[in-house]
Formats: sequence, structure tokens, C-alpha cells
Amino acid sequence: MELLKNARNIHVVICSGTTCYLMGASELFGIEKVLEESLASRINLEGSPCMNLCKGGSYGKAPFVKVNDTLISTATIPKVVEEIRRQASL
Amino acid sequence: METFIEVDHHQCPKGSYRMEGDIFLSKKILPENRVISVLSDGLGSGVKAGVLSTLTATMAITCMAGNVPIERAAQIIHQTLPVCSERRIRYATFTIVDVRGNQEVRILEYDNPPYVLIRDGEIVEVQKTVARLPSRYGRKTTISLSSFVAKPGDRIIVFSDGVVQSGIGTPAMPLGWGTEGVKKFLQEVVQRDPTLSARELAHTVVRKSLWNDALEAKDDITCGVLYFRNPRRALVLTGPPVAIERDKELASIFSVYRGKRIICGGTTATILARELGKQVRVCLQNIDPEVPPASEMEGADLVTEGILTLGKTAELLDGNLQGRTHRPSTKNAAYLLMEQLLNSDIVDFVVGTRINEAHQDPSMPMELEIRRNIVKRIAQLLEERYLKEVHIQFI
Repeated sequence: MELLKNARNIHVVICSGTTCYLMGASELFGIEKVLEESLASRINLEGSPCMNLCKGGSYGKAPFVKVNDTLISTATIPKVVEEIRRQASL
Repeated sequence: METFIEVDHHQCPKGSYRMEGDIFLSKKILPENRVISVLSDGLGSGVKAGVLSTLTATMAITCMAGNVPIERAAQIIHQTLPVCSERRIRYATFTIVDVRGNQEVRILEYDNPPYVLIRDGEIVEVQKTVARLPSRYGRKTTISLSSFVAKPGDRIIVFSDGVVQSGIGTPAMPLGWGTEGVKKFLQEVVQRDPTLSARELAHTVVRKSLWNDALEAKDDITCGVLYFRNPRRALVLTGPPVAIERDKELASIFSVYRGKRIICGGTTATILARELGKQVRVCLQNIDPEVPPASEMEGADLVTEGILTLGKTAELLDGNLQGRTHRPSTKNAAYLLMEQLLNSDIVDFVVGTRINEAHQDPSMPMELEIRRNIVKRIAQLLEERYLKEVHIQFI
């Protein structure tokens, strides 16, 4: 039961708005493929039509990904994987 | 009841040819409320036949639009066509359908299989008069003329001999499908699905002909359909309104619209979801490297990203997609949008004019077009090439 409760407890949201997509979000959607099974099974991947973060530049630059409450700007697969690992080990 | 003429066609080239020798061309003359369609079949196959039929159809449409008398038009066409190097004759068949005021139909036929008129699920035989043109070139040239007043729900179906002769020599239909076979099929299909679109019907006929030929067409196969129907509408909302105060207005346009409701734009979708208290869910299947994934929202028939998707849809509409069996390998959001647009008769665009400053960043890997310009381009394609009615409103 404990295991089930912990399963899929990392929520990953990838912005698929115009700016993010153009800056590389399309590759980020492949994130589950690069994670080992034990981690891949714990993430809950979701897309967002637009997180509205690209305007003004106060959040950094696109593409944007959220791993639970942590926002990653200029997101790349290694950066997102690193954050997922960090949160998984908490 | 308001009627709209949905015009579409489908075709498939002979055997391994890459280009059809038949053509189906249409033109809408808005000030006269007139639609003219021409089906022409050029002598032979491939590029040469394609040139003959394209020349014929283009001239026929131009002559009809300019109200040139029929005999004169036929003469002009005949004198202009190049002589086939193998057969030493100039020849391309044609069927011209000229509709005024959405109902007055005049049809001129020269050597194509006779057209079919379906009304209330039944085939209607229209009286035809035969006119003989001066046979200056040693061939007897007769043209058949017919006219009638179309009723809502009518369908006019024209097709090339590749349809009638499909299946020829096969054990199932040694003499080919035949005019009667085609008629029976058309009637069955329409009775089964009384609101079947012109687009689908043309497709169905070509598909069946191709099956008759065991999937390798023995001749160019073309079917064009004019369907007098109650217009199907689609609303496309794209871009956030110029001021936040107008978000509610946008949401109400969306809510009261009767027809398909499409949203193109991440911010636009977010605004509508907020105003209407709905959830937007991005579909993560079939991620396409160029076109962002579509989303789902209750009450919307399609939700896509904005500029990239619209740009790709314009590209799809601009490529000579109409009438082809060729389909893109992935059904990305741009393809889904194109399908929605082509399945509609009247498209209402509501374009938000707020500029997304992030799109103006010079470090972007490609230039993002201004939304209004893409929408105008799509509107022009829909009107001119696909004979749709388009309205654009800015907010």
C-alpha cells in the first residue's frame, strides 16, 4: 500500500505554448523515455497549453517545465532529469 | 432555409503516374453569387493529359465567367489545345456546371460520363438538349445542355470515365462498373447517410473505383460533387483580446456559437478555460517536432497552439491537398485543424490582437508571423481554393 501511495507522485508539467515549443519543448515530451523504469513510473507527465511565463522575462527564458512546485526555465532534458532525481530522493 | 453549395472533389492518377490527366476546377464569383465547376479529362495520361485538361478547364471557367456564348467557347478551347504528338488530334472532354443564385443550374456536357442528380435520395433524370457544334475539324462535336432549379439537399455528381470503366476486365465486373452501377452505388451511399458531405461522397466514389481496379487505377479517376446544403459553420478563436476587459466578450462569443468551436492559441485557451470554468488537457500522444500537441476542453471541438499550428495549416491548405488521397503520416494538430476547416462551409475567425512580446524576441530560432497575416492567408486560401465563406473579426 505504501508503495502505491508513493507511485506517480512527481508531477511534471511541460509548457507547449508557441515560445516554449519553438525553444525545444517538443523534445522534453520524450522525458519518460530517458528515465529509468523506477523513476519513469513515478512521474505524472502533463502538458500545459501555455503557462504564461515567457512574457516580460522575469521567470527566465523558455522552455518552461514545472517539477511539482519547482520551476525550471531554459529547460533541457538533463536539467529536468536532475530535478526529478533530486525530488525523488527527498 | 439558407443554402450553401459545398463543392469538393477527389481523384487518383492512373497506375503509377504521379499526376492526374483529369482535373476538377471550381470558381466562385461572389458579386454574381455564382459557382462554376468544370471537370475535364485530357487525352492520354500523366503530365501531357494534365496540361490538356487544365487548359480546357481554365478556359471553360474563364469563358463561362465572361458569359461567352457556348459555341464560341467550345471553338476557343478547340483551337487552343495542342495537338497530341502520338494521336494527331486535340482533345479533352469537359462538363461545366454553372450555378447562379445558389439554385439556377445549367450544365454543359462534352464527352464525359453523364452527371447524376440526386434529390431526396432518388436519382432525377433531367431532360437534355443536344447541340451540334460546327464540325470544322472533321469530328462530330455534340454538346448536351440541361438546366434545372436546384432544391436544398440536392447533389450534382460528375465523374470521369475512369470511374465508369473501373473494374473492367475483372471477373466481378468484366464490362466495368458502368453508369448504372455508379448510379446505384451513389443512391445507396446517400440513402445510408443523407447528410454526407460533398467531400466525403467524392472520396467514397474514388475509393470504390480504385477497389474495382484492385487498387491500381486503370485510368485517371476523378469525382466532383456539388452539394446544396444547410451551411456547416465553424468558429476559430485565436489570440487574446487587445484588452483584458474584453476576455468576457470572447468567452460569450464562444459560448453562444452554433457550430464547431475551435481554439488556436495557448493563451486563448487559458483565457477561455478561466472565463468558462473549464479544464484544458494537453494530449500527449503523437508528439510532433514541428506542431505542438492539441488539447481537449469541454465544449470545444479542437484546441491547438496558435501561430505555429496556423502556419502549418496554411501550408497544408496551400499544398495541392484538395482531392488527393495522400495524407500526412502524423495526424498532428495542424492536420486536425485543416480537417475541421475543410469540413465546414462558413468559417468565422475571431482574431485577438494583443501582441505576445515573447514572440518578438530576436533570439528566437525562427521568425514568428503576425497572427492577423496568417489568418488572412488561410482565409484567402479557404475562399479562393476551397470555395468557403470566411468572416474575420478582430477583438
